[in-house]
Amino acid sequence: MSSIISDMDPATAQLILPELLMLGGIIAMILVPNFGDATMRIPLTKIRIPFLIGGTRFATTNNPKLPNQIATTTLALAFMTSLLFLSEEGDVGNLLHVDEFSRMFALVFSAALLLASLATTVRLPARPKASAPLDTDSTVISDAKVNALIDNRRQVDFHILLLTTGLGMSLMAMATNLFMLFVCLELASLSSYILVAFHKENDVGGEAGTKYFIVGSVVSAIGIYGMSLLYLWNGNLDMTDLAASWDAMEGMDPLATIGVGLMLVAFGFKVGAAPFHLAVPDAYAGASSPVAGVLATASKAMGFVALIRLLLVVTMPSEGQAFWFLALSIIAVVTMTWGNLAALTSDNPKRVLAYSSVAHAGYMLAALAATGSGLADSDTSALIVTAVVFHLVVLVLFKLGAFLILSMLEAEGRGHRMEDLHGMGRRDPVIAASMFVFMLSLAGVPPLSGFLSKLLMINGIVNVSAGSGSASASTALSWAQGVDPVFWLAAAIVLNSALSLFYYLRIVLVMFFESPATEKPLKRAPSLRMAIIACAVLTLLFGIGPLSNSLLDMVGSAVDSFMGS
Amino acid sequence: MSDTKNEWGLLVPIIPFLLVVPYLKFLAGWESVEAAFLIVVVPLLTFPVILVLGQLYNGNETWKNRYKEGGIFGLGALALALSIAIWIIYDYIVGSAHFEAHSVVDPFSWLTFDVIEQSGTQWEVSTGFADIGVGVWIDSVTLMLLFVATFLCFLICWFSLGYMNTDKINEDSNHRFYGEFVLFAIGMFGMVLADNFLWLFIFWEIMGLCSYLLIGFYYWKESAAYAAKKAFLTTRVGDVFLMVGLLILYDIYGSLEFAVIFEDPSTGVGGALVDSGELFWALLMLFIGAVGKSAQFPLHVWLPDAMEGPTPVSALIHAATMVNAGLYLVVRMVPFVDVHVNGVAGLENFALIVAWIGGITAFMAAAIAFVQNDIKKVLAYSTMSQLAYIFTGLGAGLLFLNIGEHHAGYFVIGASMFHLFNHAMAKGMLFMASGSVIHEVHHAHDHVRELSEKYSTNEGDDHGDFDPQDMRIMGGLAARMPVTATAMMFGSMSIIGIPLIGGFWSKEGIIAETWKACLAEEPLMFVPALLVLATAGMTGFYMTRMWLMTFAGPPKSEVVGHVHEATPWIKEPLIVLSIITAIGGFALALFGAAEYLGDPEYDHLSFHGILDTLEHAFLPEDINLRLVGWTTILIAMVIGPVMASRIHGGRLIDGVEASPLVSWLVNLSSRFGSQDVSELADSQLAEALRRRLYFDDLYEMTLAKTAVPLAELSAWFDKNIIDGVIKQIESNSSTGSLQVRRITTGSARDYILMAAVGMLSIFALVWGVSA
Repeated sequence: MSSIISDMDPATAQLILPELLMLGGIIAMILVPNFGDATMRIPLTKIRIPFLIGGTRFATTNNPKLPNQIATTTLALAFMTSLLFLSEEGDVGNLLHVDEFSRMFALVFSAALLLASLATTVRLPARPKASAPLDTDSTVISDAKVNALIDNRRQVDFHILLLTTGLGMSLMAMATNLFMLFVCLELASLSSYILVAFHKENDVGGEAGTKYFIVGSVVSAIGIYGMSLLYLWNGNLDMTDLAASWDAMEGMDPLATIGVGLMLVAFGFKVGAAPFHLAVPDAYAGASSPVAGVLATASKAMGFVALIRLLLVVTMPSEGQAFWFLALSIIAVVTMTWGNLAALTSDNPKRVLAYSSVAHAGYMLAALAATGSGLADSDTSALIVTAVVFHLVVLVLFKLGAFLILSMLEAEGRGHRMEDLHGMGRRDPVIAASMFVFMLSLAGVPPLSGFLSKLLMINGIVNVSAGSGSASASTALSWAQGVDPVFWLAAAIVLNSALSLFYYLRIVLVMFFESPATEKPLKRAPSLRMAIIACAVLTLLFGIGPLSNSLLDMVGSAVDSFMGS
Repeated sequence: MSDTKNEWGLLVPIIPFLLVVPYLKFLAGWESVEAAFLIVVVPLLTFPVILVLGQLYNGNETWKNRYKEGGIFGLGALALALSIAIWIIYDYIVGSAHFEAHSVVDPFSWLTFDVIEQSGTQWEVSTGFADIGVGVWIDSVTLMLLFVATFLCFLICWFSLGYMNTDKINEDSNHRFYGEFVLFAIGMFGMVLADNFLWLFIFWEIMGLCSYLLIGFYYWKESAAYAAKKAFLTTRVGDVFLMVGLLILYDIYGSLEFAVIFEDPSTGVGGALVDSGELFWALLMLFIGAVGKSAQFPLHVWLPDAMEGPTPVSALIHAATMVNAGLYLVVRMVPFVDVHVNGVAGLENFALIVAWIGGITAFMAAAIAFVQNDIKKVLAYSTMSQLAYIFTGLGAGLLFLNIGEHHAGYFVIGASMFHLFNHAMAKGMLFMASGSVIHEVHHAHDHVRELSEKYSTNEGDDHGDFDPQDMRIMGGLAARMPVTATAMMFGSMSIIGIPLIGGFWSKEGIIAETWKACLAEEPLMFVPALLVLATAGMTGFYMTRMWLMTFAGPPKSEVVGHVHEATPWIKEPLIVLSIITAIGGFALALFGAAEYLGDPEYDHLSFHGILDTLEHAFLPEDINLRLVGWTTILIAMVIGPVMASRIHGGRLIDGVEASPLVSWLVNLSSRFGSQDVSELADSQLAEALRRRLYFDDLYEMTLAKTAVPLAELSAWFDKNIIDGVIKQIESNSSTGSLQVRRITTGSARDYILMAAVGMLSIFALVWGVSA
């Protein structure tokens, strides 16, 4: 570990600049809000010099909005530097490797967290003018004042956790060593457990966080156990080394197979695959919406990075079917079907989105499974991974966008029942229109980006199965029997997409055709509003036209940098 | 309400629109054709602006008075379109440096379809489908129609500022009117400029949509809603055929681009020789589309009802522009049949069908126009009849071209196009003039009622049985509305074909050449030739009748006494178009407009001597044609009008004066004695004409017997079978959903248990695969 510090030179620093910025943000978050006018007397003299830490805080450092500003700035800088140094490539120490692929994910993570941080201003409002309750205040007013004070006090805690989550995820994407990968994953996970339970006064939040933590830690333990088996088998956990040993392995070494199988459980939990996903809807429903949005996008992307590394780098056989193909296919189909079915009758928009997120994980798992079918050449595999990464990128826009809208509702103490969405079209047409775009994109309706990504995944899967199934089959049935099972993964995605329309459109329906309980427009929250509108517009632009093309190029070259290595 | 205050200051916002062309030409250095796309794009951008601002500022005083509820923006966009059109026309006709008879300009693709392709390791969103690239197609016909469309759209929009915005009933919904107006303009301009049949069809449909919306502008009126539906459905019948025609064309040529098809219409895709039988069906299908759009027999029933729309709409869509789309489509078929250059021989039957449909419609519509008392309905039937002339002319032209007589063919096609121009100008103006009459009569009626019921509390626009379009309550308006009367006089003369005025030049050509085709080439042309000749006289009758009923004689109701020609914005278009109608036809005839429009090799306007032109019109070499020409003049100018005068003519009441020319005409009309026609009016024939020869009844009966049961059947199928299946899926899914959610107990212990189950399943599967 010391090598990272001893190797640090400007070039290396530039490679991990976003992460360094986040680290700096964390340190600033710890220090800056504590700056005050404390002084220190030099011993034996009467000279007092400013000491900064302690004393009465300055006006700026006392401002409860400061942590949010620090976090937002840090994440924005991280996002921009990631974008700026997108094509930089190099090793940092011997555990991290920076390339376009990891940078791409750093972009996803920082974008998701940035949006969450923007949304927090509504969900966890900082009120510089908050005052202590007076004896003369009524209970309602005094409760509100206490809440305001509590919110102010907790700003730093919340935002520091956002930054540690970001740091963990970002580092995880560069890890070349399974152990490093796992440590970073845990850094992000542990932070997110606390974020889920952050509103501890709220029964749901505390319970959800605890459950998420318990299930998560059990599953992590399983993963670490699997990793220890791999270590036992190979002697180190460097992924290229593992891959080499895997290729050289004759037959199936039970130690290695069981190890990978156990890790699959851990990563499956991260992406929300059935049947490890059960805590996920609870967690989303209990967490505040921005956090749920982060879980549904960044956290899921993190799980997929881990899966892609494990499945495509370490255990992909040079030819023939990968041993995890069948397991992953079945998990994928079960996941998407389970998610969609459960979402159908759910009456809590956040749970609906959570289940939809499970379903989307199923689609992506199906695409990944297709790469291991033994029919895919390296080009096709690259295309499928491109599709998956593209989906993860645009998911930040429309999944998180939908959560941001729910967070606007949450700010007025609602958003947990379908009725809260009633009449949004009348209350706030712009927001409702954005939600409409997000729902259509989630459902995969052209020309939105959700359609493009889903199309690419299905296209990839069908591409893999192309050639199987006899073209001269006389009946549909004989063709269906001849076609490779991979094809049915694509069919499952299509059928599930049709099913999912029911609940996505239900949200749209109640927004525009039900009458609202109140005509009052939503909170103004200009920055969040801008973010939501930007998400909606980008959802469209990344679906069709030149922008989508350039994003696809970007993702494609990122995947090339990963697959090529 | 009708204040005479000068409102020209409101035009200031359109100045920037007018500066665009000078900017592009002199500062940006564009070629005129490069700017052609702006003709469509600028209205396309204006259209949402008008609608959105209209919603936002609905009821706002400034929006209402300063911006005329969006009318000023519409006018600006149309002024820009007009200025670009004039620029292009100038470049092509005067600055002949850039002229090529058929030039395809493809500045960039207006719309492309993205195709996702896999290339190597990358997904690529590529812009494929070369067929749907969009460019601009310019030839003499395009230029003429482009001018007609932009010019009349501009004038009629101007007219609407007066007509629509001073009527209380339209208040706060005029932005809808202007929005749809501009959208219509997009359709028309786009259709004229399109360089392939697919885009032509798309814009064609946009026009159809706007026609529906604008006819149904007063959608709360049952008759208007019905008329809108009728127009939409009737034209839809034609459009379905049109689409089939396009598919056959695509099958033959493998493309819908003009450039590809017209390169050599005799060879299809892959160099195969085109079968005239297949092409016949393609053209016939296209022609049925044209018949629907241009309201020809037997798809003509929608046009008279379409007069339910506001009068500017009637002027714009149902007289001056949209109905010409069908003609345009037929003119585009010229290369297919022109055996002089690569055409396909053996399509005479198609040409005959076109001519027959034209002849029948011309005669039938003119006959129905005899008995109409609604001023707009007369004009509607007159429109049908005149468009039918053009179809007859085109039919004759296609016939000539198909048998190799390309000089005669080009000439009559040019004459038909020239008639399209003359008719559009005259009819657009006639409709606006009738709008002026209706508007002022309406206001006069309001005024009269106010006087008589001054203290009545009954308010609103309830007119009871009063119909401001009924010519039977008018009469004697010549003295009250001098500008309108003069304008309508010139318009009627042009439509009748009074020598030297507007429509004469083109109509003469059509009738003469149709007879020539009949006498020299094809006896079957006799019926259309005879019908159009007879129609010339009938036109003389019904147009004169309309003018006399409205303007001559003593006033037939007290309302007339209160009519004032006072509404702003209405007179200017009438004056401009009067001038064009009166002398424009002659002027263009002197420059050989018919040759220019018809002959693809005739790429410049040149001045013919006045005497040559006159001689060509009045004393053609062929004695038969001379006979036909003079007969036409006789019956159109003398017999028809005189008969109308005997029935409806009469002096104004003493003491009122009209302008000299109008006075003279009015007095002239009273000199032919009078004839009582009440017996004739009660006859069965008149009743049949009043019932529009029972076509509407027939169609409605047929539909009630066939389409309605079919619709009920499909509704049943939809409700029970399709919805039933969907509902079944939904209920099954809901059950499944509840089952699945039951597993989510909310207890962490169960979750871990499930995770363990999952883990074991993975092991089982992996073991199964490995073993």
